[in-house]
Amino acid sequence: MRAVLLHLALSGLVLFSPLALAQPAAPPPLEKPIGQETVHSDISTREIAIQSNFTGIEILIFGSIDFSDSRTPGEGTYDVITVVRGPDEPIVIRKKKRVAGIWVNGPGKTYGTVPGFYAVLSSRPFRAITSDSTLKELGIGLSDLDFGRYTIGDPQEQAYRSAMIRLKEKSKLFQEVDNGVTFIGRSLFRATVALPVNVPVGRYTADVYLFRDGEVASKSQGSLEVTKAGIEALVFSLAFKHPFLYGLLGVLLAVMMGLAGWYAFRRD
Amino acid sequence: MFQIYLPIAEISVNLAVMLGLGAAVGFLSGMFGVGGGFMLTPLLMLMGIPPAIAVATGANQIVGTSVSGTLAQWRRGNVDLQMGAVLIAGGVVGALIGVFLLKYLRELGQAGLIISLAYVCFLGTIGALMLWESVRAIRRARAGKGGSARKANQHNWIHGLPLKMRFPRSRLYISAIPPLVIGVLVGLLASFLGVGGGFIMVPAMIYLLRMPTNIVIGTSIFQIIFVTAIVTLLHATLNHTLDIVLAFVLVIGGVIGGQFGVRAGQKFRGEQLRAMLALMVLGVALRILFDLVVRPSDLYSIVPLAGL
Repeated sequence: MRAVLLHLALSGLVLFSPLALAQPAAPPPLEKPIGQETVHSDISTREIAIQSNFTGIEILIFGSIDFSDSRTPGEGTYDVITVVRGPDEPIVIRKKKRVAGIWVNGPGKTYGTVPGFYAVLSSRPFRAITSDSTLKELGIGLSDLDFGRYTIGDPQEQAYRSAMIRLKEKSKLFQEVDNGVTFIGRSLFRATVALPVNVPVGRYTADVYLFRDGEVASKSQGSLEVTKAGIEALVFSLAFKHPFLYGLLGVLLAVMMGLAGWYAFRRD
Repeated sequence: MFQIYLPIAEISVNLAVMLGLGAAVGFLSGMFGVGGGFMLTPLLMLMGIPPAIAVATGANQIVGTSVSGTLAQWRRGNVDLQMGAVLIAGGVVGALIGVFLLKYLRELGQAGLIISLAYVCFLGTIGALMLWESVRAIRRARAGKGGSARKANQHNWIHGLPLKMRFPRSRLYISAIPPLVIGVLVGLLASFLGVGGGFIMVPAMIYLLRMPTNIVIGTSIFQIIFVTAIVTLLHATLNHTLDIVLAFVLVIGGVIGGQFGVRAGQKFRGEQLRAMLALMVLGVALRILFDLVVRPSDLYSIVPLAGL
């Protein structure tokens, strides 16, 4: 058995162990067939309801690697990368400039398809798992995301793009979590994704990729729905579908509170 | 602490902090007889509520606190309905202009900046004028002269205007044009800045229209209900920026705080109150100016294309 097998046990620790670094750089033996192992996964919560006490939520993505069809089970380096992606939305990014001593927003740049949420979790730093071209092809990693705007080669555009990624990362809407996928034993794995309070509503996908010696061996996809629920859903739909009624309700509530306050505190 | 999720602002805020903010602003408004919007909207913005939502929600809160205030004034016979109606007519026009102006500026991404600049200009000017006036009044009172320097019923250019109307409660026979213009201005301020506009309207009615001070206060707070109600409706309908949950929490705090404010206000003399209010107004103006001038921690900002 190669020392690399330890990956399956405790990937987080293995990363820094000398054994992992001692992994031979030689290409995998040619006689080995393409792995036929499959990955199965699911999400702990299929539907997330945002209610008045919502302050963010953690979801669990779990799964297992099925070696049954593989001729040489457990042979090779196994890695898991999972990508959770929220609905795309158009976004405007602006840069402030100093005009007459005051900081003023400059003209904005619009990005047509920015994921409302995007997280990459991996069993070890994902850039070490596979080649850059494979990552790019699969759309894994913030630097390989397509935001619906051509930015390559333009340093100014590049600055806007990286500023947007930085801002999204700051609000936890973009995440890259190395070692975010933990193996339990040889075939079970789990990953915890923290959705912050400002997650957009809509359909989310959770892609789980199984890599074997740097090649995609299997893929599994799940999805979850983030919705507003209870009073929040009612308020939100009223505000956008019947805005006049909604405004009237706001005025009436305020008038009633004003009347109640006057009545409660009147002195005659 | 208990967090509450705001469905339109899409952030989670502390319920106790928001209740406290509503109560503090309500206390000030009761104490000084002003709507308090000029404090509330900037404070909401400082707490991370997007500017356009702060304006619409601030206007809605003022509806609630003005209803309480108006009822108290109404019972003392301090509301001039005719004058109120003229002011409201002007207010509707001003509110419409302001709402569309804000919508346009939001699309340009300049709403926050222009709102802040307008606050600095208005609050800076009004605060400075009020401070100057009240300090002079306090000095006069110390010198023992007392009394008001205001000349009673002197004719000015206002009396030369056409469209004269009778305002029996205020004992005035003047042109409807100046109150209409004041109404438009107040409506504009209400929809653009989320303020009631009392701090403009009260001096304008006292010094320009020469209405009796007690009727001015009653009428001003009466018309603020209608103007802020219209502004709330317009923002909700056209800009989708009203957060009803936030408004409700603020109104509860505001109504309660307002009652205690009225009692606290009776312990001070008029010019002392005006000096305190002036200092507070200037403080808010300086705070907003500071944010505009100091280099922001991040030069970039992102907003969804659809709104805000």
